[in-house]
Amino acid sequence: MVNGYMPLSLKEALELRAAHELVPYGGGTDLMIEGEKDVCYLFVNKIAEMKKIVDDGQYLRIGASCTFTEVLDSPLVPQLMKEAVSRIAAPAIRNAGTMAGNIGNGSAKADSVLIEYVAGAKLRLVSVRGERVVPIEAFYKGRKELDLAKDELIVEILLPRTGLENYFYQKVGARNALAISRLSFAGVLHLEDGVIRDIAVAFGAVANTVLRFRDIEHMLIGKTIAEAKKERAAFIAAYDAAINPTRGRVSAEYRKAVCLNLLRAFLDDKGI
Amino acid sequence: MGQISGSVVKRDHSTKFSGAAIYVGDYMESDILTGKILHSQKAHAKLIEVKVPELPAGYYYVDRRDVPGDNNVNIVKDDMPVFARETVEYIGEAIGMVCGPDESMVEHILSAIEVVYEDLPVVTDVLKSDTAFFDYTITKGDIDKAFKEADKVYEEVFETGFQDQTYLETQGMMAEPQAEGRVFLHGSLQCPYYVLNAVTRALGLPREKVHIAQDATGGGFGGKEDYPSILGCQVGVAAVATGHKVRCIFGRREDLEFTPKKHPSHNTYKVAVKDGRVTAMDVDVIFNGGAYTTLSAVVLQRGIICANGVYDVPNLHIRGRAIKTNTVPSGAYRGFGGPQTFVSVEMVMDHIARDLGIRPLEFKLKHLVKKGDSTSTSGKYHFDVPIVEMVEELDRICDYRKKREMYAKPQTGRYRRGIGLSMCFHGAGFTGSGERDFIKAVVRLKKSADGMVTILISNTDMGQGLRTIMPKIVAKELDLPLTQIIYEYPDTDFVPDSGPTVASRSTMVVGELLCQAAKRLRAEWQDGEEQMIEEHYKHPEFLIPFSLDDFKGDAYPTYSWLVNVIELEIDTYTGRPQVLGAYGCFDVGTPIDYNIVVGQMEGGFLQSIGYASMEYMTADKTGRIRNNSFSDYIIPTAMDVPNLKVILHTVEYPEGPYGAKGAGELPAVGAPGAYMEAVEQALESVDLHHIPFTAEDVLKSLEEAEKK
Repeated sequence: MVNGYMPLSLKEALELRAAHELVPYGGGTDLMIEGEKDVCYLFVNKIAEMKKIVDDGQYLRIGASCTFTEVLDSPLVPQLMKEAVSRIAAPAIRNAGTMAGNIGNGSAKADSVLIEYVAGAKLRLVSVRGERVVPIEAFYKGRKELDLAKDELIVEILLPRTGLENYFYQKVGARNALAISRLSFAGVLHLEDGVIRDIAVAFGAVANTVLRFRDIEHMLIGKTIAEAKKERAAFIAAYDAAINPTRGRVSAEYRKAVCLNLLRAFLDDKGI
Repeated sequence: MGQISGSVVKRDHSTKFSGAAIYVGDYMESDILTGKILHSQKAHAKLIEVKVPELPAGYYYVDRRDVPGDNNVNIVKDDMPVFARETVEYIGEAIGMVCGPDESMVEHILSAIEVVYEDLPVVTDVLKSDTAFFDYTITKGDIDKAFKEADKVYEEVFETGFQDQTYLETQGMMAEPQAEGRVFLHGSLQCPYYVLNAVTRALGLPREKVHIAQDATGGGFGGKEDYPSILGCQVGVAAVATGHKVRCIFGRREDLEFTPKKHPSHNTYKVAVKDGRVTAMDVDVIFNGGAYTTLSAVVLQRGIICANGVYDVPNLHIRGRAIKTNTVPSGAYRGFGGPQTFVSVEMVMDHIARDLGIRPLEFKLKHLVKKGDSTSTSGKYHFDVPIVEMVEELDRICDYRKKREMYAKPQTGRYRRGIGLSMCFHGAGFTGSGERDFIKAVVRLKKSADGMVTILISNTDMGQGLRTIMPKIVAKELDLPLTQIIYEYPDTDFVPDSGPTVASRSTMVVGELLCQAAKRLRAEWQDGEEQMIEEHYKHPEFLIPFSLDDFKGDAYPTYSWLVNVIELEIDTYTGRPQVLGAYGCFDVGTPIDYNIVVGQMEGGFLQSIGYASMEYMTADKTGRIRNNSFSDYIIPTAMDVPNLKVILHTVEYPEGPYGAKGAGELPAVGAPGAYMEAVEQALESVDLHHIPFTAEDVLKSLEEAEKK
């Protein structure tokens, strides 16, 4: 027996969320595994306001209840996000699982969250009290710790409209499908007139949250490729010092080695 | 391939496809109690006290004190208790069972039980155990002389890990008290008579008071050869003690952690080479038997008989031991001891060939056994050995030789390729004289007045297709449409003991008996009459008698053969391998149904690739297996081996129906040798020594190579 509410509008959902102790339920692909019996769910997968993917001229806004399959089918979603989402689990799960679910589960292994980190995405959080927009890095306070009030819902993911075209991405799972990331890597480079305007590097599944070190990225920003090449060793060394992987299904040493291998591969790929 | 091989729709296709098939979990009566096992949390400890809270009405706790008969499960040596005695010997051992109508209440009671243990030393390393359950030796020729005269002696150790059967349906059994003190058990199982023997003994009941039936069974792969006897005794005891129907179905974690798996092994090969030829092998095979003997004796026997692979080695000394440790008792898994030694011998042959500067395939073919040669147990290969032709057939579809040369050139990029080939056999049927001395199979055909013919055998379909295969044989001999042949899930009240559904024996042995019975029925057919035909096993006359005391004689009447090729690419940045192609040529004699056999070969081949590559499972120092979910115990998906090709080669076996021989296990025996040869080539001819060889192992190997 499953108890829950299935609101059809955001307003109704927020009122229910404020009035009751509810667990938001998108596709249920994580919650079903837990199979807790004494919880009441707020089914958010029928709310029209949370199912849209739109370009508002400032952001690409992905509705929180969009399934992975819907994201893959959208012509608006950048290729980097699609690559990551296409590697989540298997088709049946991608048909059910949602973008907000991937975030709300709070795992550093979430494949779409890695891309949100590297994109500098923001989350639009709404409650009956009002709404706020929070950068993804601030939203994740620790493992399974989210900056989400008890009456709030993740309603939209705001991605920058450009800047993700020149990327390098790799998921390392234990197999080719139905695989939880043992490590994932995304790097993005934005060049203007041969000068690095922006660079972003993120590592998934190595620590309690996705890792992105903006101070290290700054080592290369404003530099030409030739100048960046000279910084390459120091840049890699900085990551070597900054990443302290947790031991899990694979050893910390393996995770560290692969992180650095993929970082090098990213730099190689971009000529740095 | 004759007419018999043409494929038909599987008998159980529509019931399984539509969901109508009844598995043990599908019985919906309200009077069934849910049973849950109180598993030991310690790998080795004295049981001081089990503090059971006061139970609500209708809830029960049963343990060894409730066993009315013998608290030992009849398997081979009967040392495994139904419920733990004074000590527990592995994590997961059943101490007792809580039963009751509501599952969550049963779970609540289970969590409230406090078990007081007194720790005893835990042994998980086979090399540190002082108990060998079994210790066998095979000798042939003059090993000392061969080593003395050798040009060179190689010594290497190979290790293999656990592998779990991961059938779709977890273990599940149900027991029902019936009128006149009878007890009825049914569930997910391979061997109804094994369960019957075990349960009558545990319940102290005569044969006629117990009957066992198979429900639709979602896969076995050997995992349901012994465990249903254990779980059957437990639910049987609970049903008798409570007077209610009791059903116990394992959760996936429970199943992965606490039920039998393939024996991990530690195999030392000492090989003498003279004039470029292997003259002797001195092999020490050590299997981790786990906490109780269960099936280890027979798994080990098969394992050591295969220890020299498909090679003619005139001088042999093979010692095999199954060692006691405080891990879950190891059991049967498709291949039954063969995969462990075959991967070892294939790798040692590779390494020697490379050291001698000879292509491994050439080196192996030079040593290949042929018809008339003697086996490791001084028996005889009575029939053609088709490996040479199979290699050529496979080479034509995958260009093994060409690619082997190509990938031997230095590779420098991120991705590096390799290709490997292995060759193996699987001895068809029970080892030695088991069929004649222990099984003594009996089959019956019952013809009713309306001309319908019912197959009465105890063999089970667990997805492998027996319910289709057997009627095809009978229908052909009687020249009747398939629809006129009935073959239901067996119930020991109605079917004779035609033996267990194990050892790739069913089609070859039981199918042949049915073929004989059908021939007789046809000859004696009388319209409108009820008729019953019975056939008994006859031992093939050409066999050299086998003695288990000195491992001499024909261990198997015939052999099924395989050649496997694996082509892969390794990502040197992540260590991840990608199988580019898996090609298998299999000889199982005449396929009784082409689609079924090809399906069997594909599935087993994939399991075998999983064994070599990603199915990593281990017990930690405390004896706990932590890889107990499908996110931690990784089995391959179709996406991991998208290009898997199977071809069949047929050498008919005259004593099997239409020339069929053992099929079920063969494909799960051979891939690791090919896989590892491919990995070794991709890693530039490094010698490797264990499986599964994971992504992490690849990176370690690359790091070591860089240091050199």
